[in-house]
Amino acid sequence: MKEPSSNKLLKLFLYITVFAILAPMVIITLWAFTNQWSWPSLLPTSYSLRAIKEIFAPYGNVFPILLSSIFLSLTVALLSAIIAIMAARAVVFYDFFGKDLIDFISMAPNLVPSTVFAMGIHVAFIKMSLANTPLGVIIVNLIYTLPYTINIMKNLTESIGKDLEQQAYVLGASPWKAFLHISFPLLLPGIIASITMAYIISFSQYFVTLLIGGGKVMTFSMIMVPFIAKGDRTLGSAYALVFVLSTLIVFGLINLILKKFQKRKEKYNWN
Amino acid sequence: MNKKTPYILIMPIVLLGVLFIYGVANGIIQSFGYIPAFNLRDLSLDYYIKVIKSPTFLDSLKVTLHISLISSILAAVLGTILTAALVYTGHTEGKIIQVIKLAILIPHTIVALFSISILSQNGLLARLLYKLGIISTQGDFPLLLYTKNNIGIILGYLWKEVPFVAYFSLSLMASINKTLGEAAENLGASRLKSFIHITLPLSMPAIAKAFLIILTFSFGAYDLPFLLGATVPKALPVQAHVEYIHPDLRHRPYAMAMNGLILLITWLMAGIYYLISNRKKLKGGSHERA
Repeated sequence: MKEPSSNKLLKLFLYITVFAILAPMVIITLWAFTNQWSWPSLLPTSYSLRAIKEIFAPYGNVFPILLSSIFLSLTVALLSAIIAIMAARAVVFYDFFGKDLIDFISMAPNLVPSTVFAMGIHVAFIKMSLANTPLGVIIVNLIYTLPYTINIMKNLTESIGKDLEQQAYVLGASPWKAFLHISFPLLLPGIIASITMAYIISFSQYFVTLLIGGGKVMTFSMIMVPFIAKGDRTLGSAYALVFVLSTLIVFGLINLILKKFQKRKEKYNWN
Repeated sequence: MNKKTPYILIMPIVLLGVLFIYGVANGIIQSFGYIPAFNLRDLSLDYYIKVIKSPTFLDSLKVTLHISLISSILAAVLGTILTAALVYTGHTEGKIIQVIKLAILIPHTIVALFSISILSQNGLLARLLYKLGIISTQGDFPLLLYTKNNIGIILGYLWKEVPFVAYFSLSLMASINKTLGEAAENLGASRLKSFIHITLPLSMPAIAKAFLIILTFSFGAYDLPFLLGATVPKALPVQAHVEYIHPDLRHRPYAMAMNGLILLITWLMAGIYYLISNRKKLKGGSHERA
């Protein structure tokens, strides 16, 4: 019952999609190393490291901003994962007053554009002295990561259940120990997924950080976007390249650290 | 276990939830003209009425609906084809999925840069057409950026949203195809027929939900229209921000009324989605019983 002709069409569609996704990445990589790329050449006429050098020039202050921006987004990601683990446990394992409300609230940010929320809370944040501070930016970013992280942790918590943990509890482990040694290692894949998801949402944020940070909290997006707004392809592309590569490096490190943690746990459990 | 435990566990989400609701409510109250900090204390619907009557708002609304409807419908259709392509060619995991995830990870601000380097009048596409002899000067290439047709913005959204729809509905379609779709084929249905009558309708919940997410997102999004949109008319969220930073602070309620209307339309979209999906569920249920 094979129909190779339809399969060929679908494969063609797949290859076109992969090309359409990868081609722009190649183009901005070329632009980042371009010295001159005048009309109508299809490839840069001469290359240089000018843009990359300019980004990392000591007077530019870009590298410290990149690091603090990564740190801010990692903070958001970790908090988001922890809050999501807690909320997921509460909603999946317990019956309590206001459970449906928690379910609703954790999904609500999807139904309020972040621009609307940011402009709404701005005056209140000024009164609470949270505007123009990293803490204010962290809180607003955090709220918009939670629908995703809670969804991930809820599904995983449901599928793991609490039987194993309860056994450890019955055998005399404290609830905290039972969680740490039984459920936590099983939740690790979801924790990695939550942290990476929350990180990228926070690290990508432009408008909300601009409004709540008031130009005082500098993130990498804040220094990259003006070049894109100006249509500066060389510097814009160099920033974009640093954005993507730094994100991939952070993801690699998160994976590495948490996987190592898991291995150590396994060893410990066997002893 | 302990009765207090769930309340301790939900403490942080409750705190953030209260703050979230407070922010939204605060914006809505300001839209009725109540901002004591700026000496505005009279509650009224005037700001809404004036906003709805203003041509700037109506043009912005039209442009925003145009962008979000066209990009979301196209993304849903192409995303469904992409999902089918992944499922039927057996690429539900592996390198191609990694490429699709890459598109989800790239922020809209960088997508705007893609649009600029490919679609502008001296961009790569224009250069390619020139080399092929289709156009003879840069000016022959149509304006796609910073103009009213908003094609640069729509293509930018498609770049992000087609992979998103596929990623979102992949697991459901793969599992349905594996069980029911292949069964139908074994019973003699052609692959196309089994897809249209069995796999596609049963995958619809995931596709519809992905559609709602991208529709409401692109309706309320700032980055792409800010970076690639025309000076007039601006997309609604961009226009609202323009009003928001107006030097005359008494202008603030107009920005908030625009935000209120963005919110209203977003909730209307979600409401229609829930009505349709619930009716489908009821129908499906009675059908099964019959």
